[in-house]
Amino acid sequence: MLSIASAPRGCLKLFVTAAIAVPLGLHAQSSEGTVPADLVIKNATVMTASHGTIEHGSVWVHNGKIAGVGATVDAPASATVVDATGKFVTPGIIDPHSHSALGDDINEATSPVTPSMMMIDAFDNTDKALYQALAGGVTTELLLHGSANMIGGQAVVIKNKFGFSREAMLFPNAPRSIKFASGENPKRVYGSKGEVPSTRMGNFEVMRQAFEDAKAYMASWDAYNAKKAKGDKDATAPKKDLKLEALADVLRGKLYVQIHCYRADEFLTEEAIAKEYGYKIRAFHHALEMYKVGDKIAPTGTAIATFSDWWGYKDEAWDAIPWNAVMSMREGVRVALKSDSNDYIRRLNQEAGKMVHYGGATEEEALQMVTLNAAWIIGVDDRVGSLDTGKDGDLVIWNTDPLSTYARAEKVYIDGDLFFDSALPGFGTTHFHGVMHEAGFGGADDEEGGGQ
Amino acid sequence: MRTGFLFAGLAAFSIAALGSGSAQLGPNGTSTTSTGTIAIVGGKLLTITHGTIENGVVILSNGKITAVGPASSTSVPKDAQIFDAKGMTVYPGLFDAETNLGLTEVSADQNSNDLAETSDEIEPHMHVGDAFHAETARVPVQRINGVTNAVVAPASEDSMPGQDAVIQLYGRDRDAMLLKRDVALAMNFEGDVRRRRNFNGPSKFPTTRMGLASQIRQSFLDAQAYETELEEAKKPEHKGPAPKRDLKLEALLPYLKGEKPVVLSAYESYEVEVAMSIAKEFKLKVILNHVVHAQDVLDEIASYHVPVIVGPIYDAPTANERYDAVYSLPAELQKRGVKIALASGRSGASSDSRNLPYAAGYAVAYGLPYDEALKAITLNPAEMLGFGDSLGSLDVGKTANVVVANGDPLDVRTSVKQVFIEGIAVPMVSRQTQLRDQYMPLTEKKKQ
Repeated sequence: MLSIASAPRGCLKLFVTAAIAVPLGLHAQSSEGTVPADLVIKNATVMTASHGTIEHGSVWVHNGKIAGVGATVDAPASATVVDATGKFVTPGIIDPHSHSALGDDINEATSPVTPSMMMIDAFDNTDKALYQALAGGVTTELLLHGSANMIGGQAVVIKNKFGFSREAMLFPNAPRSIKFASGENPKRVYGSKGEVPSTRMGNFEVMRQAFEDAKAYMASWDAYNAKKAKGDKDATAPKKDLKLEALADVLRGKLYVQIHCYRADEFLTEEAIAKEYGYKIRAFHHALEMYKVGDKIAPTGTAIATFSDWWGYKDEAWDAIPWNAVMSMREGVRVALKSDSNDYIRRLNQEAGKMVHYGGATEEEALQMVTLNAAWIIGVDDRVGSLDTGKDGDLVIWNTDPLSTYARAEKVYIDGDLFFDSALPGFGTTHFHGVMHEAGFGGADDEEGGGQ
Repeated sequence: MRTGFLFAGLAAFSIAALGSGSAQLGPNGTSTTSTGTIAIVGGKLLTITHGTIENGVVILSNGKITAVGPASSTSVPKDAQIFDAKGMTVYPGLFDAETNLGLTEVSADQNSNDLAETSDEIEPHMHVGDAFHAETARVPVQRINGVTNAVVAPASEDSMPGQDAVIQLYGRDRDAMLLKRDVALAMNFEGDVRRRRNFNGPSKFPTTRMGLASQIRQSFLDAQAYETELEEAKKPEHKGPAPKRDLKLEALLPYLKGEKPVVLSAYESYEVEVAMSIAKEFKLKVILNHVVHAQDVLDEIASYHVPVIVGPIYDAPTANERYDAVYSLPAELQKRGVKIALASGRSGASSDSRNLPYAAGYAVAYGLPYDEALKAITLNPAEMLGFGDSLGSLDVGKTANVVVANGDPLDVRTSVKQVFIEGIAVPMVSRQTQLRDQYMPLTEKKKQ
């Protein structure tokens, strides 16, 4: 892995200066300080992901937020106008399961319970994978811990503002998520060291024990706080424990639980344990066998983030079928597609297109799998994931229908700011002018790489 | 299903495509219904060699294509069973220029892997035909999306991991599926191959590109010397026993004589140059492979006048390369007059041949002319591997490997409706469709 300490880290902050009138077509080439107060993309086929498709429609973004979507919009005459005749506009693509920009630090595989690991501490904002994803229209990513541990680390949610500082790439006020895993990976990683877990029995027992420890920890704090409330000056505070605090936050419902889980039986076990300890599971990730029990999982409200057609790379992926996403959706489960890969993240739109083929999803249903439903899994669906007034101005202009094989992202906006334009020479980036880092993790399998 | 055989006797196939799972499967997923002459009528024909024919007819008889043409001027034999392809696209079966089909099942399960011998770099005497697992569940998964032929290659673990085979993705057993063993020699000059280096323990030669190159040269020199010995032994004046048969060196002889192609893999520009210099030295007949990061020597590659299996185009550009540096490679090579093929690749079991047409479509999105993209997954690889006369296009006399789909074959949204291999309507069933059909009632129940 490259390590260029002196390289520019692309951390130029955005300074919104006076509203400079920028000639159409040129604003993309100047980098900082030129976000138009009003941006209108007109004459496009607008795929809203929430309320259908508008032919010859417009999207108006005002101060970074969507201010109007429709056949016409009430934007001021001073707005920067982009004529998108013959082109398609969608919300920015959202990946609810990525390990990009985490170098080789995907898994702290030294203990099956590591909930205090913060993925933000490994986040490298100049990773080329972010750029390549941006060029594929990806505007939001959930960067997750790997699947070596039953209870892994806490995720970081980013907006893919490639060229901005680490701080400026964070999704503001996004809910916290934590990664759990199950199945083959934890049992292989620890079993191969002669440790627990080495079986699925061990996997789940390790988890239960962790929550018992957390309950005891919470009880000790409750007792202390009660004593203190009564004015007991001799009460001594228990020691703060990062690991147990994180687990306590799971039990307090403060963390969205994202579980790497493949098999039908394990979805049921995970839901039973969640019920026993009183937390909710936000989403099962991979979830390749959800089609077998979708009707039973649907009432829990747990979503899935799955592959379109990836299968057979290990035993627990042997019953994967490409109809899983659409069948699970029809069974009532909220379904997103995800990359788990620095490769697939570059063309999640195409993966969504496959759902038209595998199971007959409508184009809107397919698009939702890589926008709105993915946003829900991350917990940011009130702000991104569809073209609706009030949401963030994260959008992509495509040369053609984004669900076709022939689609290329031409322009990518985040918060109304242009971050990628394929017509520009060089990288096509407007804010990045530095040196990219090579990802330590190639993302070529489901987290079996990367420090397992 | 709107289309399908109009003859009741073959209704089972259209039902299978619908997903009822009632298809009667014969050994290894073959058809139990004997098909005579079949007429595919009314579809848009993508012939590859002579353009597109709207409302065309293709006649399949005795395993061959016996007629191709417009409906207006192509007569349908009286005894033919009609496959109504109105509104459909009809094209030749796809040919995947490089796969690991039949050499691995579940990649994480070592017992199911026969990808490459790794004790030595030079293993030309390994024949994937000896390991090809005809009954793999992976073959039906690929073929129901239109892939009818493929090169099976060993994994790129060694400089010479063995010899490739060409398969047909249909047949009751290995003999029926292996079209040709030892069709090409897999040869790699890739940085990754230098894995014998061990900084923490004893290393084994070679550990550098210098070592790899010198070892490859020595192997060909040894083979030449072996051949000379064999020739000497044939002479009447030769005294003493003939040299002991050396399987490894013997395997190299057809390649030294230029009788068969070497599929020469290299990624970086300088690796391509070094590999080609070795190939020239020994007058090898070359098919270049990958060239993923050789953007700065494309003119030089064109000057070699060798065909190229380019990609996989989904390989990531290196840091500080433009995002489309690899996506645009097929177009850039084709523009320079290079005959190209695409392959799903052999990066393990997760690369599926069924997605090969989408890679071709993506190459179109990045500048490759549509017709050239189709050729790159049909006729071009067939020609490169010596099957140009029998595969890769809708032409009279060729093997009746024909696909009918409900739209553009390169689009991810298109569904393949029927695949014919050697004129047989292949049951549109795989392990995956069987699982789908088994659980479909849950979906149906929810709908009500």
